[in-house]
Amino acid sequence: MSRVRQALRHPFWQAFILLLVAYLFFKFGIAYLPALLGMHSAPVPSSVIMQYMFIALVGVLIHVSSDEARWRQFKEPVQATLVDRDKKWLRLSLLVLVPLLVGFATYQRTRPRVDAPIELRSIHPAPPGQITFRGKTIPLTGLENPLRKRGSMPEHLRTGQRVYYQNCVACHGDRLDGQGHFANGLSPAPASFADAGTIAQLTESFVFWRIAKGGPGLPREGTPWNSAMPVWEDFLTEDEIWAVIIYLYEQSGWQPRRWEAHGAAEEGKAP
Amino acid sequence: MRKGLRIADCGNGRRIADGIWQIAKGVSGLREADFSNRLERRFATLHPCARIVLCALSLLLIRSPQSAILEAQAAPRGKAVYDKWCAGCHGDDGAGVGSAATYMLPQPRDFTKGVYQIRTTASGELPTDADLRRILDFGMPGTAMPGWESKLTENERTDVIAYIKSFSKFFAGKAPTAIAIGKAPSSSSEGLAAGRAAYQKLECFKCHGDAGRGDGKSAPTLTDDWDHPIRAANLAASWRFNGGSTVEDIYARLRTGLDGTPMPSFSDAVESKVVSDEDLWRVAQYVRSLSPEETPAVREVIRAGRVEGALPSSPADSLWAQAERYFVPLTAQIIVKPRWFAPTVDGVWVQGLHDGKRLALRLTWPDPSRSPDPAWDEWLGRVKQSVFEADGAVPVTQAGDRLVLQFPQRIDEEADRPYFLGGNTRRPVYTWRWTSNPDQATEATGTGLGKYVAAAASAVTHSARFNAGEWQLQLTRSLASADTTKSPIFREGQAIPVAFYAADGSNAEDDTRGSVSAWYAIYLDVPTPPRVYIAPIVTMLLTAGLGTMVVMQAQRREREHGRSNLEEYR
Amino acid sequence: MRRMLLAVVPAFAILACGGAKEDAAEGGAPEQGEAPAGATKVAEGGASIGGTVKFTGTAPANPKIDMNEEAACKAKHEGQATDPEFVVNDGNLANVFIYVKSGLPAGQTYTAPTSPVVLDQSGCLYKPRVFGVMTNQQIEIKNSDPVLHNIKAVPKENRGFNISQPTEGMKTMRTFAMREVVVPLECNVHSWMNAWVGVLDHPYFATSAPDGSFKISGLPAGTYEVEAWHEKLGTQTMQVTVAADEGKTQDITFAAK
Repeated sequence: MSRVRQALRHPFWQAFILLLVAYLFFKFGIAYLPALLGMHSAPVPSSVIMQYMFIALVGVLIHVSSDEARWRQFKEPVQATLVDRDKKWLRLSLLVLVPLLVGFATYQRTRPRVDAPIELRSIHPAPPGQITFRGKTIPLTGLENPLRKRGSMPEHLRTGQRVYYQNCVACHGDRLDGQGHFANGLSPAPASFADAGTIAQLTESFVFWRIAKGGPGLPREGTPWNSAMPVWEDFLTEDEIWAVIIYLYEQSGWQPRRWEAHGAAEEGKAP
Repeated sequence: MRKGLRIADCGNGRRIADGIWQIAKGVSGLREADFSNRLERRFATLHPCARIVLCALSLLLIRSPQSAILEAQAAPRGKAVYDKWCAGCHGDDGAGVGSAATYMLPQPRDFTKGVYQIRTTASGELPTDADLRRILDFGMPGTAMPGWESKLTENERTDVIAYIKSFSKFFAGKAPTAIAIGKAPSSSSEGLAAGRAAYQKLECFKCHGDAGRGDGKSAPTLTDDWDHPIRAANLAASWRFNGGSTVEDIYARLRTGLDGTPMPSFSDAVESKVVSDEDLWRVAQYVRSLSPEETPAVREVIRAGRVEGALPSSPADSLWAQAERYFVPLTAQIIVKPRWFAPTVDGVWVQGLHDGKRLALRLTWPDPSRSPDPAWDEWLGRVKQSVFEADGAVPVTQAGDRLVLQFPQRIDEEADRPYFLGGNTRRPVYTWRWTSNPDQATEATGTGLGKYVAAAASAVTHSARFNAGEWQLQLTRSLASADTTKSPIFREGQAIPVAFYAADGSNAEDDTRGSVSAWYAIYLDVPTPPRVYIAPIVTMLLTAGLGTMVVMQAQRREREHGRSNLEEYR
Repeated sequence: MRRMLLAVVPAFAILACGGAKEDAAEGGAPEQGEAPAGATKVAEGGASIGGTVKFTGTAPANPKIDMNEEAACKAKHEGQATDPEFVVNDGNLANVFIYVKSGLPAGQTYTAPTSPVVLDQSGCLYKPRVFGVMTNQQIEIKNSDPVLHNIKAVPKENRGFNISQPTEGMKTMRTFAMREVVVPLECNVHSWMNAWVGVLDHPYFATSAPDGSFKISGLPAGTYEVEAWHEKLGTQTMQVTVAADEGKTQDITFAAK
């Protein structure tokens, strides 16, 4: 027990434990800890982990070398491993193991890969300031859903439900989770409106743009060549699209993002 | 734990919620549905011990009401759930004609008739509550019905089942009872042979076909109780079986039949000793053996192995048995006009081989009809009547079947791929188009789905074979390109983007009405270059040498200086 | 055409019921249907309504059936098999279901006969094609073909069923609990196979024989609404008044559509 405590006070083992903890945190902590609190997260790419680890390593080295005594103490086990007679076997096994590890890593890098090309795409690309809908110019900036001030809401919801079930349900699903009966096989997968990262982050004008112009209407960073979202202005009227937007928010329980009263020029998308 | 202590399992969660409601309703102004749902959520968060105690207490305190009374109370609560989540397909009145009904095949259940496919009860009987619950919770594979276990609470699901039952007068009678289902005999190759023999004897092939792909002689004539066309199940795709894919599921369907469909019950045949119970189990095992053990996984990269000898010359070539099969799911083309909501083909199996000079692809996909086939005229007519003819009338005569592969015109890993749906005028695609009638394959330049210009001469050769409800097609082309402005060079060791399109002429399909895939990639295996093996050896030697040097240097220093410095500091 | 039909459809005995005038019915038509065998008529009366169902105009040709897939069934037919939608002999129409729709004494109940009605599948056709049963009276469904048949009932008021009979000689008993005219029966293996059963809670029904004749007997005196049903020609209703022990003649005429 006391040996463990002694080891914990030793700068070499401190450095070792710090780096190990940092690695585990970058690799698993960032991905899974926020989920325990109900927050969304994702695994960190290995190249980013490498960067983080490099920074951590620099920090640890600064710490152990900040005063001479500690630095010497830190080097002690290293030096001992290199020269001590009673550490001969440890030394020899390290001399075999480390090259093996390096060889394996090299093989991993040089062996032929069969991965599909990676494509990055922006989930919510910046919308244009205005669009042309069936020949009519509609400014998107500051645009509110006109149906919210016109006609009867139950009527809009009925229309929206019909439009959704006749056009959207096959891919976006009747649970709104992007798992409709024709969603299988589409890449990227259809958006899940149940997810807090989609319509909950957007203004209704942004949603209108995405529905009206579909995959082919995406700007470059949204890779139009892959999205299967149809160009709905070819199928639906302006009011039908606004009605289905009302239905989407009502059915999912989200609130559309609102335009700031003063900042009409602000982009209609999530930061 | 999660399953073990949910409120429903605690005596009867509904009963507790109702009992407490009876006490509480005088006090609070809550709506009843809100109340019981909140109570249930609250209950689920309690400590397990607290739950057990509360369960026991409430069971002691609350008089247990009759289940019929409970159901009468649950049905109105279920209406709210039904109207929100179910009515879009099943209709406000439960008759199965909601907004989406004609946009799918099979179409949504009509609850007014009390006729249900997936039951544990005898033919013609009502389903048990547990039967209904299973479908509600887990959905029906192969149809548009999803599982609602994750979306609706326990109470909501109980309530909505009560409401769904209220659509049919038949549920007012006495509760149905499940039939007894024994245990499957242990599986063996003799058992499978016996199952195959019984499959023949019971004439399952009349509808399901000899190989089970739903291509039997009666298949084109089949209708359900609502006069909609209905497919004989493709028994080689167990992941799409409406009632589940286990041997037990299949046996249960054989015993109970699928009411509302042409699939009859074999219980009477077992009881009158026309077929033994064991043989029926063998049929179930045989049917299960027709599908892969696992649902085929979708992999983005299709590897084409390198062969040293000659490439296969036809899809029947035995060489293909060694090439790995990749499943590419296809989905309805409901993106550009004219759309089609009920396509036949839902996936293509792809295999690839190359010899360093030519690439051969073998594509197999189930299709019960070799179109055009007069036997399927009847089917075409019914499909035309049942499925919404979006964007103009669908063809009234059968076209041939077709399969289209598309590639970018140039393969450049840095560049974007063309629009996945047949390219566009700005970025055309290079395609291989095969049709069954006439049986030919051509190269073409595509500028959108159904928009293409065929090449004057085709460098792609083909061999097609229709075998027991399955198309088998081999397409072959040299890796070199005849015209590099229109068609890509295929290089070894490179991911070649590819996408697929399939159409069944007997199902009103053509150049845009059909099934499409997303982009995939074909990777032509390369002989492993020597550097793959040399580089690790070099780095290992370098590291070992460097390590040895460090050690030697440290030891030399140690000999020269001793450890005096270190000791000074101690 | 009519003669042809009579020639090609094999003679076939159907119901082992008493009072038959002929030994065989043709074209899938039952013999003259009086009350089903063994019926106990609680409200026994001596009156009867009988007559002939006549057909005017030209009957459409019955559809040909391609039985090449079923050699055993094909062998039971001489020449081209047809689906006997219209069985017309000398202007008389068979396979019309005639029944008392209303007018019987209120509150009267009738006991179903204990003997079953036999529905045979032979030559990949139903024999009889149109028939009546009482509620809860047994229907014995039998397969006389060495091929798979399934028998599917698609009722509205009753619970349906769909059972398979994979071998020759197999018999299955079924009943219907509710009054319903008519319940369609079909075979999905052979899409041309159709039969119709009228289910009634009283014994006053009949099916017209190949010579068009029918007779509903044992009726008490009264005024009845009588309905006649044909699979292609629809229904006709008429008011018929009979005195005690009267043998009323009520001919029915269907015209070609």
